[in-house]
Amino acid sequence: MTTPLLSRRDFIVAASAVGSGMALAIVPRIPDAMPGPATRSELTPWIVISADDTITIRVPGPEAGTGGTTQICMLVAEELQCDWAQVRAEPISYKRNSREGDLYIGQTGTWSTFAGGGHEPEIIATMLQVGASARERLRAAAALRWNVSVGEIEARAGLLTHERTSRQARFGEMAAAAAAIQLAQEPAPKPPAEWTLLRKLNPPRLHIRSVVDGSSVYGIDVCLPGMLYAALVQSPVHGGKLKRFDFEAIRHMPGVMGVAIVDPSEPRIELEKPAFWAHTTAQSGIAVVAKHYWQARKALEALPLEWDPGSGVEWKNTEQIYQAAYARLAEPADEVVKETGHAPKLIEQGGYAVIQARYLTPLCEHAPMEPLNGTALVTDDRVEIWHPLAMTSQALVIAQEETGVAPENIEFHLPLVGGSFGRRVGGDDLRMVLAVAKKFPGTPIHVIWSREETFRQGRYRDLQAARLVAALGADGLPQALVAHVAGHDPVTHGLDDGPYVNGCIPNARIETSNVQMHILTGQFRGPGYNSQCFIIESFIDECAARAHIDPLEYRLRIFSKWPDPGWQACLREVAARAGWGRKLPARHAQGLAIGNWGTSGAPREGTTAAAVATVEVAETGDIVVHALDLAFDCGQILNVDAVRAQLQGSMIFGLNVCLNEELNVENGRIVEGNFDRYPMLRIANVPREINVHMGALSGHARYGGTGEVGVGVVGPAVANAIFRATGKRIRAMPFRNAGLQDT
Amino acid sequence: MKTQLRVNGEPRAIEADSDTPLLWVLRDHLRMTGTKFGCGIGQCGACTVHMNGVATRSCLVPFASAIGTNITTIEGLSRNGTHPLQRAWLEDNVPQCGYCQAGMLMAAAALLHQHGSPTDEQIDSFITNICRCGTYPRIRAAIHKAAARIRAAQEPHPHS
Repeated sequence: MTTPLLSRRDFIVAASAVGSGMALAIVPRIPDAMPGPATRSELTPWIVISADDTITIRVPGPEAGTGGTTQICMLVAEELQCDWAQVRAEPISYKRNSREGDLYIGQTGTWSTFAGGGHEPEIIATMLQVGASARERLRAAAALRWNVSVGEIEARAGLLTHERTSRQARFGEMAAAAAAIQLAQEPAPKPPAEWTLLRKLNPPRLHIRSVVDGSSVYGIDVCLPGMLYAALVQSPVHGGKLKRFDFEAIRHMPGVMGVAIVDPSEPRIELEKPAFWAHTTAQSGIAVVAKHYWQARKALEALPLEWDPGSGVEWKNTEQIYQAAYARLAEPADEVVKETGHAPKLIEQGGYAVIQARYLTPLCEHAPMEPLNGTALVTDDRVEIWHPLAMTSQALVIAQEETGVAPENIEFHLPLVGGSFGRRVGGDDLRMVLAVAKKFPGTPIHVIWSREETFRQGRYRDLQAARLVAALGADGLPQALVAHVAGHDPVTHGLDDGPYVNGCIPNARIETSNVQMHILTGQFRGPGYNSQCFIIESFIDECAARAHIDPLEYRLRIFSKWPDPGWQACLREVAARAGWGRKLPARHAQGLAIGNWGTSGAPREGTTAAAVATVEVAETGDIVVHALDLAFDCGQILNVDAVRAQLQGSMIFGLNVCLNEELNVENGRIVEGNFDRYPMLRIANVPREINVHMGALSGHARYGGTGEVGVGVVGPAVANAIFRATGKRIRAMPFRNAGLQDT
Repeated sequence: MKTQLRVNGEPRAIEADSDTPLLWVLRDHLRMTGTKFGCGIGQCGACTVHMNGVATRSCLVPFASAIGTNITTIEGLSRNGTHPLQRAWLEDNVPQCGYCQAGMLMAAAALLHQHGSPTDEQIDSFITNICRCGTYPRIRAAIHKAAARIRAAQEPHPHS
């Protein structure tokens, strides 16, 4: 275990200064603005204990629904031995992080923002150590005060007890003394077998109490003294430019204060990008700024605008894009991303049963329920940001690029995030907020996208077309596989990193081609994988059907060569639980798929999941999914209920993606602007049976993330079920367009 | 010109353009941000409030037409978040990102007013709100749990 560095400096007692300037504001809890009790001891930069025993744990990342902030607090609390009911989460101060030499991020790394999905060993080790070190200081302080041996002090449930002399103190009473304690040696965290909170309890996620009573503060709820609202519109064709606007037409409208032009050609500094970089270029746009949001929005709607659409306008319709992607598959590929053996040669030489198929996955919008928005206060030498973002390290770079202000003068206040699913990773929305706010220096500006603007200015799941060819051996199993994927900067996670092409199919070649498009794409829950799992698992099903082998048996045989037994275990568990092979009514069938998110192609990495969909196809062609069953192996689990929630949610997300989701293009513009045209599953459409089965968990040392894997496997499981129910093979999403009605 | 609106039992004076949707009057003028903006076209239900006890999508209601009605928002659903639905929501860890949940709770509370023991089919037809995180199975279970608790509390005590 790596021991985090806790320097002397970290244990200085800091009474929190309370400012009154924010009294009327609705702001998230942040270190500098939170009114606190007079005695508030910062035990470490991560832990503040108040005299009333409130334990504030600083968390290196936002809460977007995964429960990541709760998980961080549980790690600390496990070792701290505090009373869980007293625990509060609070984001770290990014300004302080910058000013004190990466005080926080230096310990947990850039990826800490995703804590709550998979947990990096460094984060787990750091947080356990933070809790253990703080507890030992509390014990040492009590021993010193009571003049007894530290070994006789028990710390439990927020109390320090010395049994022999019947003395007891609350953590809050001892915190100030503890903060001054120096230990000769940092304590070692206890072994997992002795955990009492982690793996054992599933307390309500810390943020949800404020959710259910309406007091929670999401980005859109932020309100600051003197704040103005902005309604933003960007070029309807991505990449287009604002040509003309007529402010005089709206100047007289109630509340209107002005407009802000976002001009991508304005000079901007460019910094070295973090590892996980997405499109964050400024887009040409204009925002109307007004006293109230509705005034800004109405004035924006009334504002005469003219756009130069740019070259994107040449894409007349969606079909034209699909045909371009399919056509690219017939050409030689740009790049070979994976090559094992001699797949093309084996396929061409004859002597094998050759099977081929073509698939397509469309553009999809993340559609987080909180529309894009953010608030910023920009001055010459200071930036304050209140923004629902999912990746702070990237946001910090964007803030510097857009404003030119140094990181030690940039502060992020992290409100709750009303869903991300990848949308709020890239930070392009933050860049637009800053580009607007810097035109009104000294005034906090809250930019809110309409739902239509959120839809049409997305960073979409990219479109992927794929052509797969396999040669089946005498045993029916694939001996060679060639896959060509064409899309907008295609990502092949889920195809190039699975067992099939890393040993189970002896000859494999994966190649990609770029289809140039003006439409902006980005990270979408399980990037690449959410398309590729559908493509490869549909194709493997087609191979099984050609070989006349049961789809479960077929996959079990393939994975018999794979050194990670988790794959077979997931298949066996889900098959047993879902009753694979049982007799079903007419027009009903089950389909199977398996995938993994988070692997690099090696065994025992990431999270493997197998899903069975139990589906009915009505005579009308309507697809009714009666049940989704899923078994998974992420190694180990810290919080069973949190993992269950992520898996349930990702299965439903994946179901919507495969059944419903497709963005269309018309003259370069995105057609769909709201939920009336982009159908979403409601409670009535979600299967009553969404079953997560724990029986395939291997107990391997990793803590794989569980937010993505379900998204990938559901689509192919449903498509494979539809094939078994109807004999019709669906090779493109969304399935609602498949035309399954009886003819 | 100031107008009076009755929100959570309290008269509130409001100065807003008359076509401003009730949603934005609540959020922006009264600073009651528990009611959420999701779509603006009455599709998603994140903005659900009660008007005279009826679940209503406040993004479609010009606030002038809300004058004279009793409006209840998530902030007024209960004292200290103790409505049986709110308690069930916490116990079952229903919310993920949580953004849609105020609307879900308000819709569910109106449903329980109408049907004390809702069937799954009644839940299906009444709760048409959108949740992108996929919390629907937990919402269904929590509604049943809260309904059962309300019924149990209303049943006469065996010894009385």
